[in-house]
Amino acid sequence: MSTSVAEQETSQEALPQRPKQLAMHFDTLHQQFTTGKLAMWLFLGQELLFFTGLFTAYAVYRGNHQEMFHYAHYFLDWKLGAANTIVLLTSSLTAAWSVRCAQLEQRKGLLITLALTFLCAGAFMCIKYIEYTHKIHIGAVWGSNFGVPLNEFPEHLREKYPDLTPEQLQQMGTGSFFAIYFCMTGLHGIHVLVGMALYVWLFIRALRGSFNRKYYGAVDNIALYWHIVDIIWIFLFPLLYLIG
Amino acid sequence: MAGGIVEKPASAQVVHPTVHYLNATKGFKNWLVTLDHKRIAMMYLCAVSFALLLGGFWAIVLRTELLAPHDDVILSNAWYNKAFTLHGAVMVFLFIIPGIPASLGNFILPMQLGAKDLALPRVNLFSWYLYVMGLILFVGILVLGGLDTGWTLYPPYSVGGGSEHKAVWLNLIFAYTAVFILGFSSILTGLNFIATMHKLRPKDMGMYDMPLFLWALYATSLIQVLATPVVGLTLGLSLIEHLFNIGIFDPRYGGDPVLYQHFFWFYSHPAVYIMVLPAMGVQSELIATFSRKHVFGYKAIAWSSIAIAAIGFIVWGHHMFVSGQSPAAGIIFSLLTYFVAIPSAIKVFNWVATLYKGAIDFKAPMIYALAFMYLFGIGGLTGLFLASIANNVHLHDTYFVIAHFHMVMVGSVLTGFLGGVHYWWPKMTGRMYNETLGRIAAVMVFIGFNVTFMPQFVAGTRGMPRRYANYLDEFTTFHQVSTIGAYILGAAVLLQVGYLLHSLIKGRKAPPNPWGAASLEWQATSPPDFHNFLEKPITMGAYDFENWEYVSEEAGYVLKREVIETGKSLVKAH
Amino acid sequence: MSLPYATEEPSVVQGHVVHEEHEGLPGTIGHVSSWKSLVKVLSALIFLTVLTVAVAQLDLGRLNVVGALGIACVKASIVALWFMHLRYDKRFNFWIFISSVAFVAWMVGYILFDSTLYQHNIKEYRETHEITAPKIHEHDGGEGHESGE
Repeated sequence: MSTSVAEQETSQEALPQRPKQLAMHFDTLHQQFTTGKLAMWLFLGQELLFFTGLFTAYAVYRGNHQEMFHYAHYFLDWKLGAANTIVLLTSSLTAAWSVRCAQLEQRKGLLITLALTFLCAGAFMCIKYIEYTHKIHIGAVWGSNFGVPLNEFPEHLREKYPDLTPEQLQQMGTGSFFAIYFCMTGLHGIHVLVGMALYVWLFIRALRGSFNRKYYGAVDNIALYWHIVDIIWIFLFPLLYLIG
Repeated sequence: MAGGIVEKPASAQVVHPTVHYLNATKGFKNWLVTLDHKRIAMMYLCAVSFALLLGGFWAIVLRTELLAPHDDVILSNAWYNKAFTLHGAVMVFLFIIPGIPASLGNFILPMQLGAKDLALPRVNLFSWYLYVMGLILFVGILVLGGLDTGWTLYPPYSVGGGSEHKAVWLNLIFAYTAVFILGFSSILTGLNFIATMHKLRPKDMGMYDMPLFLWALYATSLIQVLATPVVGLTLGLSLIEHLFNIGIFDPRYGGDPVLYQHFFWFYSHPAVYIMVLPAMGVQSELIATFSRKHVFGYKAIAWSSIAIAAIGFIVWGHHMFVSGQSPAAGIIFSLLTYFVAIPSAIKVFNWVATLYKGAIDFKAPMIYALAFMYLFGIGGLTGLFLASIANNVHLHDTYFVIAHFHMVMVGSVLTGFLGGVHYWWPKMTGRMYNETLGRIAAVMVFIGFNVTFMPQFVAGTRGMPRRYANYLDEFTTFHQVSTIGAYILGAAVLLQVGYLLHSLIKGRKAPPNPWGAASLEWQATSPPDFHNFLEKPITMGAYDFENWEYVSEEAGYVLKREVIETGKSLVKAH
Repeated sequence: MSLPYATEEPSVVQGHVVHEEHEGLPGTIGHVSSWKSLVKVLSALIFLTVLTVAVAQLDLGRLNVVGALGIACVKASIVALWFMHLRYDKRFNFWIFISSVAFVAWMVGYILFDSTLYQHNIKEYRETHEITAPKIHEHDGGEGHESGE
């Protein structure tokens, strides 16, 4: 797997020999690459539909309980959400850049961009962790476990609706909002964790020099996956943090 | 690895290969880590057949319980609930959905394209392991005392405190996990198939030159990729609901159980087409081959597969007419449901037209194909009754519905599966099964099916509700006849297991092409080489039977000399 | 070693790579994005993020949802077209993406449509029946024996 590009190029031109990275059922590296990419796109299609259930649940509960969603969204800190959006968008840039580095065979650049993508993902998860622990601490959680005491109400909410009591919030079923919040961001977070693991794997392979301009499908496909994770977040951010 | 291809004269002359994919490498371990699509397909075939026998066992148990109109014939009422849940869940998730694509499709798809493997062999093996994990979880459920929610796992029966026993509580976790895992197995198979058909098709084979089996698998794969993730998420959410009472589906915590049904059927209705489309694909191959006639209306059959897949996504609400769905949505779904009949009917008419003036050969696979048309016809037409809301409200949850969906889901899929297994058995194993016993079993399946389900249609219209362990005296005859039918069906399946296994040891060695079929897999030896073909197969229309001539029973059909010499089909491209 | 099976469109390799603005090595598979275009895309995305936050501060009633989702769609399209190379990729991958989005829209739209129509049934039921479910406070969950109707 670790044939250097130069070696492989010469050998390919000198003899009609199959490159080592070419699986036996393909004819060319190009065919292998486009096949992998097509399969990845199909996988991304299913990823979109995988998340759709949660988006539908969101739409149904929000459509029928506007008021509750409005109150509940005050419990989310849009500043942290926005910070996470910027972090994730940046990681998308580094992911896209890592593909460019792989195509141009810039080994150092590839290692740097892969590492940066991983670090951004880590930063995202750290911010997420801060948000989660705070919510669990004040009791802004799912279902019937929801119960935030008055002194933990966010300032904006208290200013705008001074008469709102914790009991009212409970009876409105605010727990459903947090069920949806935790499921959506949780599932998204699981995808981020999987992405981080994949970037570690890519980094190790890049260290070994596995990739070259004709064989970088893994870098490209994992970047595609990473962008879909980003796209999901692009929707989660306004839906959960901004439009109450 | 690729260096292993030996240049040999026309493959048709190699009658019985000594080295082939089954014995290319030896040992249990080599099978478990194999990336060869043929071996994975055979492992799938074993696993899927086990699931069929397991689900069938519960069917027989259920029918036996219903022999007499009183409780506790052989089962307690609680165990009756568990038995129909296990029967349904095992049959649907472990046999009918993966059955044909994962076993026959896996084996035949690359070969019909003249390719060496599926596009993603590792993913293929991974999907088999996922399947086996799902199977083990279901066996675990059985060992740990069953599950009584019905295979649809509707909340609130299936979440949280609704189940009183710890065992059921645990088994629900198993069931959700199992279906979730099986879903991903299915998705991976689907995307692998689509990628293979797009990227590994030979240059001189267009989409319209593919056998119709592949078109059917293509449509199936589309559904698998686009619908299955929804059920994965739904059951994932149910699992979380079950564990933490989050209040999305469970009404006791402010959740919406109708939402669950929407989600569930958004997948599970298209899933009906995941089940039946591959069977229709097998059907197209069988009808054409055993009529020795180019299939009639190729494009119509091909596109009707895609149309069925597409329409399948817009009719799910017809499962929910009495469940709290709004009347407006019900009316729209009722109307849309009728549209499914159009592409289905197109297929049936084209098969019948293919039979017309064909040289019909009543081999066992052909008997299954004819049975398929009959059973699918009855199942499909009764589906139209159920599509109209007024009828549906009357017949909902009666034995009429049971008989309807068994005719479609089981009658069609089982005949398609068995027909396909018999048809490709010589290719897969290199042995011929006993034709006489094969025909007897095929006729038994047909008779058994009708005897089982025809009385159920009548009992249903007279008000016999589904999922009851007991019934009024007036239904006794219907139930007893139905049970006898189930026994005939069970006997037929056991007979098949017997003679198919026997053929592995004592069966006559199969020629490369015993049926005179024209799709590319028949140019390989039986069983095929590790790399599928000893040399590049001659690309030809999938139904150009004129290229093959009969030699003898021993040698089967061989390619005509001109075809081998010119490397081209005798039939001009249409 | 001969390659017995036909390849699909090997010419595309050349067809793809020759693209005015980029600097790929000979024989590179796929489209190479210039670093400038990548940075431009990120700037646009960050600008839109700021914009969506700004729009959310205004009270536009129902238009808030439309605005936020509209901006999110633009952002998602930018990511898909440039970061994910869909602009330069094979058409078929584009169509896979579009058809998935169509199915997403169909599912969300139809279920939302139906759920708003049956809400009054739930309301009426709540008003006329005493709800006997376990109290919302106790989270033991093991109390409810009545499984639906």
